[in-house]
Amino acid sequence: MSKTLFEKIWDSHIVVEENGRSLLYVDRHLVHEVTSPQAFDGLRLNGRTVRRTDLTFATMDHNVPTSDRSLPIIDQTSSTQIKALERNCKEFGITLFDIHSPNQGIVHVIGPELGITLPGTTIVCGDSHTSTHGAFGALAFGIGTSDVEHVLATQCIMMEKPKTFEININGKRKNPHAVTAKDIILSIIRKIGTSGGTGTVIEYRGETISELTMEQRMTICNMSIEAGARAGLIAPDEKTYQYLQGRKYAPKNYDEYVSLWRETLKTDSGARFDKSFTLSAENIAPQVSWGTNPAMTTDVTGVVPFPDEYGKGNSEEEKGAEKALQYMNLKAGMAITDITIDRVFIGSCTNSRLEDLMEAAKVVKGKKVSSRVRAMVVPGSQLVKKNAEEIGLDKIFKDAGFEWRESGCSMCLGMNPDILASGERCASTSNRNFEGRQGTGGRTHLVSPVMAAAAAIHGHFVDVRELDLN
Amino acid sequence: MKGSVIKYERDNIDTDVILPGPYLKIHDYAELATHAMEGLDKDFHKRVKPGDFIVAGRNFGCGSSREHAPIALSYSGIKAVLALSFARIFYRNAVDGAFLLPIEIDEGAYKDISDTDLLEVDISTNEIKNLTKNKIYKMKPFPELIGKIIEAGGLFNYKP
Repeated sequence: MSKTLFEKIWDSHIVVEENGRSLLYVDRHLVHEVTSPQAFDGLRLNGRTVRRTDLTFATMDHNVPTSDRSLPIIDQTSSTQIKALERNCKEFGITLFDIHSPNQGIVHVIGPELGITLPGTTIVCGDSHTSTHGAFGALAFGIGTSDVEHVLATQCIMMEKPKTFEININGKRKNPHAVTAKDIILSIIRKIGTSGGTGTVIEYRGETISELTMEQRMTICNMSIEAGARAGLIAPDEKTYQYLQGRKYAPKNYDEYVSLWRETLKTDSGARFDKSFTLSAENIAPQVSWGTNPAMTTDVTGVVPFPDEYGKGNSEEEKGAEKALQYMNLKAGMAITDITIDRVFIGSCTNSRLEDLMEAAKVVKGKKVSSRVRAMVVPGSQLVKKNAEEIGLDKIFKDAGFEWRESGCSMCLGMNPDILASGERCASTSNRNFEGRQGTGGRTHLVSPVMAAAAAIHGHFVDVRELDLN
Repeated sequence: MKGSVIKYERDNIDTDVILPGPYLKIHDYAELATHAMEGLDKDFHKRVKPGDFIVAGRNFGCGSSREHAPIALSYSGIKAVLALSFARIFYRNAVDGAFLLPIEIDEGAYKDISDTDLLEVDISTNEIKNLTKNKIYKMKPFPELIGKIIEAGGLFNYKP
């Protein structure tokens, strides 16, 4: 019988299955400081151990300061949480990339970077953006702390089988440096909505996806959760195998694995999906979110929508848009390019990899950040930071007036000192524009790294298709 | 279960407003509860009483995987959230830790139930009685696995 890629990975990981309930084996478990402390406490309380310490990897990313790491952490509660992870990893025998490790970084950046993320595997992490790893053809789920404890103790997860959803993206983008993977995924969420993927695992397919680099594919899969999907998947190909080759934790007999992956990890022709959506990439414009969820997004050439137009007769949607405009302090009908910006954040598990920084640097090189803007770059990992510095990106950003910081989740979720003040407006390469996400009263506009960089220079949004990015 | 309604006529109530990021460093559940819903309703913790229900629109609990969100609601006294739909991770977190019941209701019930209405929820019959309005609504039955985890009192007590 023809099977989808999702079904193949799912079926090969079933430990027990009955009446649609499945106990799945977990190949890799990534752990961070915020969603794990209660799970470790639970293990301790019940006298349990970690079943597969060799398949469990930890780092601290959510609340770590992105300032000088040789200094002590001022926030005592952050410090306590970071120390708890150190203690827990030591006690239970788990590999930890601590705050001083050259491999520290956002968990979804370091997984692939270290070759922990592999095609055909199941991956879980107590973080919703675990969907990122799907870019490698891994079935990767975000879970909560109770499930983290369950996986630590049993290396298994109890789930109901999700439905399948194919999203086909075809056509060539006219300017792939200006219209990025971020614009593709924002366009998709804008069309299918924040619950368009609920209950499904999305497989992204089509020629546009094949053309994307691995880092761009990660941006796509990363935001699957913003459409409500359980996971996002892209079938692995030669780019995937090349990316992972020689990585620290990639298997030693790598060629044998690649042969197996080549043979098995694709959706069979004739396999059926429960749901389907198709998008042409040809006419996608750079995207800017104007509201308080990622579906409230429009073209940079567009205007802030009128709530009744946005709602299209749905009174809940209309009310939602009204509340969003009020929170965002925007007037309907105003041009997106007239929105002025106070802050710029280039970072997060969505857009903080080397390519993101290289693309943003093209916009920034030789220019100055607008006097009204405070702008920061937070590389996704220490390795990204090091590689960027080796090619001089830090200098380009710093010369322009950007802050060049240490790696972590930072201003994406406002758990560390990098937050917006109330009323501040930020062009952000992160994934959520929820109310207060980047700081109480803060206003977030989701954009690509090139769009964020251009907003930093100009002090307002600009259509990056008009810039020379080649 | 009997309790009164705190209604938010909104879709997409996300975990960042249910329990804002800065409080994810708090480990004491009672203290977490004092910040529940703070991103949306600063007076929630003053208003909520043990046994209360939240009624909300579509995609409740979207966003982050933080279990702190259902924990904060649970320790505030919320016994169940009645919504048009839920985001998956929040839904599982609520059930796995036995923090609260995520109950799906239909448009009719959602529109009919008002703030401060007194409800009686019976998950054995999938019935919601509105004692204030003297009406009965049907809730969507829990999927089999979810029903069994709820019955067991959480994931760790569940024996397949």
